[in-house]
Amino acid sequence: MSLTGAIVVVAVLAVATVVGLVLRSRSGRIRTTAGRTAAGWQLAGVTPGPDDRVLLLQLSSPVCTPCRQTAAQLTELAGRPGLRHVEVDIGERPEAARTLDVMRTPTTIAFSRDGRELLRVSGVPRRQELLDALDTELSAAR
Amino acid sequence: MQLDPRGVRFAAAITTVVLAVVLITGSGWLVLAQAVVFALPALFGMRFSPYGALFRVAVGPRLAPPTETEDPEPVRFSQTVGLVFTVVAAVGYLAGLTALGVVATALALAAAFLNAAFGFCLGCEMYGLIARARGARTA
Repeated sequence: MSLTGAIVVVAVLAVATVVGLVLRSRSGRIRTTAGRTAAGWQLAGVTPGPDDRVLLLQLSSPVCTPCRQTAAQLTELAGRPGLRHVEVDIGERPEAARTLDVMRTPTTIAFSRDGRELLRVSGVPRRQELLDALDTELSAAR
Repeated sequence: MQLDPRGVRFAAAITTVVLAVVLITGSGWLVLAQAVVFALPALFGMRFSPYGALFRVAVGPRLAPPTETEDPEPVRFSQTVGLVFTVVAAVGYLAGLTALGVVATALALAAAFLNAAFGFCLGCEMYGLIARARGARTA
């Protein structure tokens, strides 16, 4: 028996619980990051077409279950007019994660047509919240 | 083979208990046994996961069929991360470097608990950070 070991167990479980609760509350929540500018469209390797309003740039890693759920959801959303979805693998392109200051995958960053960053979401985005948040941008100039 | 996410969390829950017992007893042999449990799926694929097999035989049949399944590669990667930490822990405890054993086991315990309680895969998150650090070095 190790008293130190028992104390370590309690401490680890307490800290991990706090970390888990924080991560859970942040996961999928939209953070408005308007004002930052980054070369999102260039990083995605696409030129906005005449009807493109918003780019959803998804940063993923190869070993990431929620990345696949996010990709499936955003691919479906990108069927809507004005929305583009591009997935970038930070295993292949780590510079994208550094340029955009992304620590976790999946992180989805929305860019306006003129390159302004609108918002970002870590974790699987909540579909309706994301659509609501992008509504102004999508309906603008239509 | 697609995985039942409930099986993945079941395995993480057993791992959590085992690693807590390792810390309380200070048993290098028990953490070595857990390392073997990680090594089998890490080296040969998820179907060789002992805790996964226990879930398929003893728990899965009692539950409703899974509504969603999970790709095995991320989970297998996390088993490899777990293998590294538990091997370091076993070496620490068995070589008398108890502090090393405690720290490595504590980190593995945190990761297993986050997976069991929150479905959060720390090993998978680390992959992205490692990739990013590697990019920073070569840039």
